[in-house]
Amino acid sequence: MGYKNIRHYVGGMADWEEKGGPVEKMDLPVADPTPRQFVRAETSKTWIWSRWLDTLANWPLDRLVGFWLGMILAFGFVYWGAGIGMGWGLQAGNASVKPDFEGLLTSIYFSFVTALSIGYGDVIPVGALRVLAIVEGAAGLLIFGCLVSKLVSRRQEELTEEIHRTTFEDRLDRVRTNLHLVFSDLGAVLQLQAEQGVLPGQIVRRLESTVRVFRGEMQTIHDLLYRTQVLPDEEALESLLANLAICLQSVVDLQSSQLNGQQRSQPLDAGLHAISNLANEICGECVPRTYAPAMKQWMDQIQELARKIA
Amino acid sequence: MISQIAMITREEILARLNDPSLLLVNVMPEETFADGHIPRSLNLPLSQVETKARQLFADVGRELVIYCGGPT
Repeated sequence: MGYKNIRHYVGGMADWEEKGGPVEKMDLPVADPTPRQFVRAETSKTWIWSRWLDTLANWPLDRLVGFWLGMILAFGFVYWGAGIGMGWGLQAGNASVKPDFEGLLTSIYFSFVTALSIGYGDVIPVGALRVLAIVEGAAGLLIFGCLVSKLVSRRQEELTEEIHRTTFEDRLDRVRTNLHLVFSDLGAVLQLQAEQGVLPGQIVRRLESTVRVFRGEMQTIHDLLYRTQVLPDEEALESLLANLAICLQSVVDLQSSQLNGQQRSQPLDAGLHAISNLANEICGECVPRTYAPAMKQWMDQIQELARKIA
Repeated sequence: MISQIAMITREEILARLNDPSLLLVNVMPEETFADGHIPRSLNLPLSQVETKARQLFADVGRELVIYCGGPT
C-alpha cells in the first residue's frame, strides 16, 4: 500500500505480555455503530409501508367499508372506461364488454369478483387491465383483511373497555375511601394536638404516613383531571373533590395550630409541599376540560386551600 | 508479502515506547484491542486495513510497527 517504513513485531501481544511489557486497556463504546445503522436503514424502508397499513387499520369500521366499496366501484368505472376509451376492455365470453349501461354493470361485477378474489372467470381482463386487476385483487385482500379483523376485535374491545371501566371505578372508590381515612386521621391528630399541645414522635410518624397516602391520592386526582380519557360521572367526581377539599382544610388547620411550637419533620414538609403543588394546579379555569359550575367551585376552593398550605 | 517486511524486536519497542515518531498499530479486532494492547497503539482491525489504512496513516513515510495477538 505504499508504506515504506513498516516493521512487524512478530511476537505480538502474547510475547509482549508474557515478558511483562506495559499493557493498556480501554472500555469499548457501547455498541458497534455499523450494524445499528443497517437496522435503522431497514426500518426506515419499511416504515412508510407500515405507517400506511397502520393508518388503514386505524380507520373506523364504516370508513373502511366505504373506502372498500368506493375502491371497487372506482375500479369498475376504470375497467368500463378503458373499454370505451382505448378499445381494450373486459371480455365476457368471446365478445368485448359494450360501452353501455349493461357493460358498466358487468365491469362493476367483475370488479367485485376480483376484489373479493373470487375470480369466476366468466369476465376476463385483456391487456394492461390484467395488471390493474391484480393490483385491485391485492388491495382488496388487504382492506378486506383489515375489515374482518376489525369485526373480530370489536367484541374484544368491548370487553377491554368493560374491564377498564370496572378498574377505573374501583380506583375511584379506593381514592374516596383513602381520602376519608386521611381526613379522619388528620382529625384525630388535630384533636390530640389540641389536648396535648406537642405531638409525641409516634404520632408524628403516623401523620407522615397519612400525608404520604394523601399525596398519592392527590396525584391520582390530579391525573384524573389532567390526563385520563375516561371521566367519572359528575356525582362521583364531586364527592371526590369535596373529600379532597375537606382533607386539605384539615391540613391547613393542622398547620396553623402546629406552627406555634412543633418542629416540622423533613418528610412531612416534603409531602405537604408536593400536595400543595399538585392542588395548586386544580381550579375551575386551569384544568383542561370544562366542568359544571359546582365542580368549578370545588376546584377553586381546592386551589385556595393549596395556597394556604404553601 | 509478510516476509518482505522487516522485523522489530520487543526491546526496541520497549525502548521507544515514548517516542512519538514510532507508530504502533494493533491489527486485532476491536474487542481484543480493548482487552489489552501496547500503550499508545492505534487499533486498525485486519478486516479494515484495506479501507481505513489510508485515512489513519496518511503519511506513507511514517515509521510503523504492526503487531497482532501472537506469533502467527
